[in-house]
Amino acid sequence: MKRVNSTPRPGWKAFAQSVGFNFHTFDGEPYWDESAYYQFSLQQIEQDLEDPTEELHQMALDLVDDIISDEQKLRQLQIPSQFWDAVRASWRSKEPHLYGRMDFSYNGTGPAKLLELNYDTPTSLYETGFFQWVWLEDQLLRGELPQGADQFNSLQDKLQQAFAELDLPQPFYFASVTESIEDKGTVDYLMDIALQAGLNSRYIQLEQLGDIDGQLVDLDGFPVQGLFKLYPWEFMLQEDFAGTILTSQTQFIEPLWKCLLSNKGILPLLWQKYQGHPNLLPAFFDDGSALQNGWVRKPLLSREGANIELVTNDGKALKQDGPYNDSGYIRQALAPLPQFNGNYTLIGSWVVADSAAGICIREDNSLITKDSSRFLPHIILD
Amino acid sequence: MTNTKTFKRSKTARLIMMVPAAGMVLAGCGEKPVEVQVFNSQDECAAYYNPPAECKAAFDDAKALHPQVAPRYASRQECETDFGTGQCETAPVLAANNTVPTEQTQQSQQSSGFFMPMMMGFMAGQMLNRGGMAGAPQQQTAAANRSPVPNQPLYKSRDDRSTFRTATNTAVASQPGSTSIRPSAVQPKPAAMARRGGFGAQAAQRNVSSNGG
Repeated sequence: MKRVNSTPRPGWKAFAQSVGFNFHTFDGEPYWDESAYYQFSLQQIEQDLEDPTEELHQMALDLVDDIISDEQKLRQLQIPSQFWDAVRASWRSKEPHLYGRMDFSYNGTGPAKLLELNYDTPTSLYETGFFQWVWLEDQLLRGELPQGADQFNSLQDKLQQAFAELDLPQPFYFASVTESIEDKGTVDYLMDIALQAGLNSRYIQLEQLGDIDGQLVDLDGFPVQGLFKLYPWEFMLQEDFAGTILTSQTQFIEPLWKCLLSNKGILPLLWQKYQGHPNLLPAFFDDGSALQNGWVRKPLLSREGANIELVTNDGKALKQDGPYNDSGYIRQALAPLPQFNGNYTLIGSWVVADSAAGICIREDNSLITKDSSRFLPHIILD
Repeated sequence: MTNTKTFKRSKTARLIMMVPAAGMVLAGCGEKPVEVQVFNSQDECAAYYNPPAECKAAFDDAKALHPQVAPRYASRQECETDFGTGQCETAPVLAANNTVPTEQTQQSQQSSGFFMPMMMGFMAGQMLNRGGMAGAPQQQTAAANRSPVPNQPLYKSRDDRSTFRTATNTAVASQPGSTSIRPSAVQPKPAAMARRGGFGAQAAQRNVSSNGG
């Protein structure tokens, strides 16, 4: 694994705009960054990332039964008790899931360490599955990359296959929050793939969803029988339509049981069950005491690095503020992100259905990866 | 030549909606009328040389839509004033009919206290233009995917027993068979009002740029 400087394609920004990538620059700072790429060996990809991703995914799925049959665990994850039965029902009736992403600390050697699961509303999907793929093809054509360079990125193929095989109700609706350009981009991408898979797909703003007699309905008042929502379950469970979730005849993607796995409480539960697993870091539910050197504190429910606090091995404290300060916390042993050229590098590894489907790389100037962290492409070359 | 290398990346990554294909023109103004068929019954539909299975499918669609879109009246008398004596029935609670009917939902159908006219016929909007959709997914767009005219129930008023009318009282034909209509004039709309805005408050309150991670 190494970081290689690279010449950005001339005019890539205009191209990005033309293919719907409207968030390539974030508050004036680059988000998509092709001034460098990461290079992996095939062995690094397959043995250190792909295989562990699928194994960890199965370990996480195996935990669901443990959690739903143990009220203490449901309480530790702060799942509201009025939804316990619905969570159990969604798992026991095998409601299918679509995708997720796990984040790793990995420097090219030794086992990748699982930092967290983003199993409900993972984003950076379009950048990974489409824009990164096009970058590779372009740079191969232009002779800027060695012939034979490949990429661990079967994301779009696997998503299309999943949409074709899931047998979803149609029309199938996709919803995101009106204000977020990034979320709309992600949902547009998924809808595009779903259309290509032959699914009758429609967009609805999340805020426009209606309720008639406990049934979710679209703008015309027709029942929404299938819904992809790029909106966290823990929010939905505390909003005005929370009760509608219990009565509406709607198949959700991701399904309700995913709220167990997107919760950081899954990290201590994984450690309890599989203590010592090479890809896991020691993790515990937080007791509120001061953080020791080499530990991280994370909210049960947060995203984009918000509200994370850590103390490095040599005692340096680092804290990221954010809007997710209203849940409990876990603590996890610190696996500091490796540094390449002064950048801290995080690897996101995608899962579609139950298969590993590719990686994305984020760089930040700090140990905590955030929404604004740069996205860099990668190649596989032996 | 032996090329057994398996790639770790997608074979293709194309977009059809986010990247409009060259030459694809957005639907302009000036709505084109489309051909639909209207019938009193499934048997009549089949008698017009339509495949019986398609007649049944269109009829079933219309029947399922009927309790959702039929005009609602507070009393039987008001309903019969518009549709004729003996031509009205009780309207069920909407949620029970919102899903594909199963035995449970049919048994547990509750009356909403409202009345609605009986369904007197149906419009088959998809019988003529259904072919080829599954075979050419790359040509589909969100707009093309939505059939312009849904199969739907039709009604007849007390004073005019020959004219087929939609649930919103648009006259569509005075005899069975083919007729030409503008799709926008015959889009069924549910009778009940929805509550809205029940999701999204947390995002607004936390003011985050993304709800993903």
